[in-house]
Amino acid sequence: MSSAASAGQLRAEDVSFAYLGAPTAALRHINLGVAPGEVVLITGASGCGKSTLALALCGLIPSRVHGELRGRVMFGTTPLSGMKPHEASQLVGMVFQNPNLQLINQTVQSEVAFGPENLALPQPEIAARVNWCLDVTGMSGMRMAAVVTLSGGQKQRTAIAATLAMRPRILVLDEPLSDLDPVGAQEVLATLQRLARDGRTGVVIIEHRVDEVAPWADRVVLMDGGRVVLDRPPRAAWAEPGPWRATGVGIPDVVRLAHAVPEAFGSRLPLSVADAAAAVKGTWFETALAAAAAARRDAAAPSASHVNAAAPGAAAAAGPPVLSWDGVSVEFDGMRAVDDVTLSVHEGEWVALIGANGSGKSTLTGLTVGLGKPSSGVVRFRGRAVRPGKVFDHAAQVALLLQAADDMLFETTVRKELEFGFRFRARPKNPVLDVAEAVEFFGFTGREQDSPWELSQGGRQRLALAALLVGAPGVLVLDEPTTGQDAEHMRAFLRLLDRVRARTGITIVTVTHDIRGLASRAARVILLGEGQVRADGPANQVFAMTGDLIRWGVLAPPLARLQSELLGPTGGDVLLEVDELASAVLAHRSDGARATAAGAGVLRS
Amino acid sequence: MMNSLLVQTIIAYLLIFAVPMLLPVVFLKVVGLSGLRTLVTYEARDTPLHKLDPRLKVLYPVGMGILSILFTWKFMLIVFGLTLLPWFWLRPSPAKIKVLMVMIIGPAIAGFWGQGMYYLPPPPIHFLYKFPWTMAWLGSPGITTYGMIFGLQQTSRVLVTVSTSMLILISTDVGDFTWAFERFRAPPQVGFALTAALRFLPEMISRTTLVLRAVELRGYDMSRPRWHQFNRWPDYARRLSRCVVLVTVPLLIGTLRGTTTMAMVADARGFGAAKRRGSLRVHKTTAVDIWGYAILAVLVVGALVLNHLGIGARYYG
Repeated sequence: MSSAASAGQLRAEDVSFAYLGAPTAALRHINLGVAPGEVVLITGASGCGKSTLALALCGLIPSRVHGELRGRVMFGTTPLSGMKPHEASQLVGMVFQNPNLQLINQTVQSEVAFGPENLALPQPEIAARVNWCLDVTGMSGMRMAAVVTLSGGQKQRTAIAATLAMRPRILVLDEPLSDLDPVGAQEVLATLQRLARDGRTGVVIIEHRVDEVAPWADRVVLMDGGRVVLDRPPRAAWAEPGPWRATGVGIPDVVRLAHAVPEAFGSRLPLSVADAAAAVKGTWFETALAAAAAARRDAAAPSASHVNAAAPGAAAAAGPPVLSWDGVSVEFDGMRAVDDVTLSVHEGEWVALIGANGSGKSTLTGLTVGLGKPSSGVVRFRGRAVRPGKVFDHAAQVALLLQAADDMLFETTVRKELEFGFRFRARPKNPVLDVAEAVEFFGFTGREQDSPWELSQGGRQRLALAALLVGAPGVLVLDEPTTGQDAEHMRAFLRLLDRVRARTGITIVTVTHDIRGLASRAARVILLGEGQVRADGPANQVFAMTGDLIRWGVLAPPLARLQSELLGPTGGDVLLEVDELASAVLAHRSDGARATAAGAGVLRS
Repeated sequence: MMNSLLVQTIIAYLLIFAVPMLLPVVFLKVVGLSGLRTLVTYEARDTPLHKLDPRLKVLYPVGMGILSILFTWKFMLIVFGLTLLPWFWLRPSPAKIKVLMVMIIGPAIAGFWGQGMYYLPPPPIHFLYKFPWTMAWLGSPGITTYGMIFGLQQTSRVLVTVSTSMLILISTDVGDFTWAFERFRAPPQVGFALTAALRFLPEMISRTTLVLRAVELRGYDMSRPRWHQFNRWPDYARRLSRCVVLVTVPLLIGTLRGTTTMAMVADARGFGAAKRRGSLRVHKTTAVDIWGYAILAVLVVGALVLNHLGIGARYYG
């Protein structure tokens, strides 16, 4: 390493840290360097020490988070660990997960100016910094906007701008994408890449959503049990899936596809959909993919359900609906959050509602339990109108699990939490799951007398879900249940939902941004855009409409985008699982090889 | 029948409790927690009032508050009228007007009603309604005309400060307040406390609303009985008070987590690093500022002179 590089480099040198009173260390012998202009992705399972490492890298450990720190964090030749926070933040800036908690001022401009004003800089310098930060984060046009009026992506970009105003050389971001829709996430990632390339700022992104960050990263760091287990450039990092499987951390779908069909992608791993498409364009893979799609179309029965964008709701199954929205509109301060929606959900269905932030998903589902009042139209549960405001009456029929499951826990023990609802209403006569069974089913055996707050975050979410299900509701509505979860926790949650459905046969309606995991798992996907239903059909058909999805602020899963890019907007279906896609392509490999050879022959002649 | 002790007692109890019970109901119906959230929210607009010198904006409620104390009732009405004029200039959103009206009229009715019952002028007293002994033992002999007028006067003095403060709150970015305080040599912590309070109060109200929703979603009965279901009201009051205990835990935990992050952010952004802060804002004094200062000075000085001359001055004796 050159001395010039090390002068501006952030280094963790054999850093170990244990929180005050904690029996085990959160960080163990971490050695890590970040250079200006570099984008480093740090990932790992929940609780592996990523966020603790972020606090250590920006000097908030030990100055503001107390515990036992060994080793040191250096910026060039300057030790960061002993600095005051405002001194450290001029070298390494930190952007926290929740932008709401880190925006202290009322307008975008005053938020960005806050740091330089605190440093008592001269006015021209403050103005120059504010202008540069707003420019580089693309927030110049909103400088006078009130913070409360911003979208999630805009808030996160404002938080980045405010941190940049301290002129750090390295920026550390702790799960900056977790609350953002895919389009908001892309805005933030583009900003970060611009910073790294043009501003020569080092960027450390701590994130579970590896699919989205992978194309932008220069290095990937995998953590497990407080240690760095892998630190390589992305292609080298994902060349061997072993460590990723061992830690339960997700690998980008295009990388998994390249591992599943190595002969199509060669030795160079694709990191993005564009990479993957470029690698297989004009090869047997593309032809085999087209042959597989044609075979699926031929095999599909004429009566099979299909996506219907022109007449939303037409994809619904037969029989009386369990939930229905009939010409429902909702207005807030003269703005239409939901606009004349007609939908029905049938018994036993698993429906995913997708759409950009503010598209009306949560408003629509909230109406099913009486949260909010339609300005027109009727919402019905099993044919009976849902009465606005009568949440207690409807909560027994429709269980709504909020995104912040912690806010749904009120009792002192797990057992009391499960019995909470029965203090106010009679126990169901024939419960599919009673309290004792729920304890076992959800994995709380032996922990009945523990406080809910002693459980892990995933455990608290399971408890809130269990507490809702013991009331024997007819429908389960989940609002962003996998936000901020790592791949392993997300898979565990999906397995749990599968078991719940198998046991209870309950209808599930999910509001989600998690297109790759949760939405792809649902049998039916409904796309909302500006309060209206824009598409409604099976997941593999809705995700084939990549152009429409982008128009309404949603990015289709990477595999769907790859198939659309190779085959064009066919209006057919796409395969959403890596194994499924690899098998289909390999099954049609001979067709593909023949066609490619024939094509080559034509070209030669 | 109207003269029977029982009927008189019922009427007296209705009179004494109707207003204190109706006001919270009206507040919840018209404003609610979400309305309260918008009350202190800054409305970014391009009006001359928004661009006014922040120092003048800080001085304005103070100056008008002084006038409201110095003058007698009739002069007070003029002062109150003057405080309403800038509202026409500002033209707040309809949602804000609705909330403001409740916040202004509510205390006015409460003050007028309370003083009507408990302010006793020297005899002879003119009662609008004289309470029977079954009610008088609570400390109020009845509702007096003079008491109500006195209540109205006192309330309007308070409303002068409320009206001016609200006007400034919704037309001024908190950063400008901080700037003004610092120009007045106030410690930066004053500005920061105000900034944090005004920024996070709406967040806190949103969170409280969310947790109250969550408790209902978990099957806690928060449904309110109809007004005539008297036997169900005590149970409702019991459920309501227990709910406060229930929601405290998630609210407290969420708030503590939030404040820890906020404190780290403030530290990282260098708050407290220098004794005096810099400022992005460069305020160039405009003609509107000069007019504003002049009008405020004329009003305050004029009030002091009139007071000295005994014109419109309150009698303290």
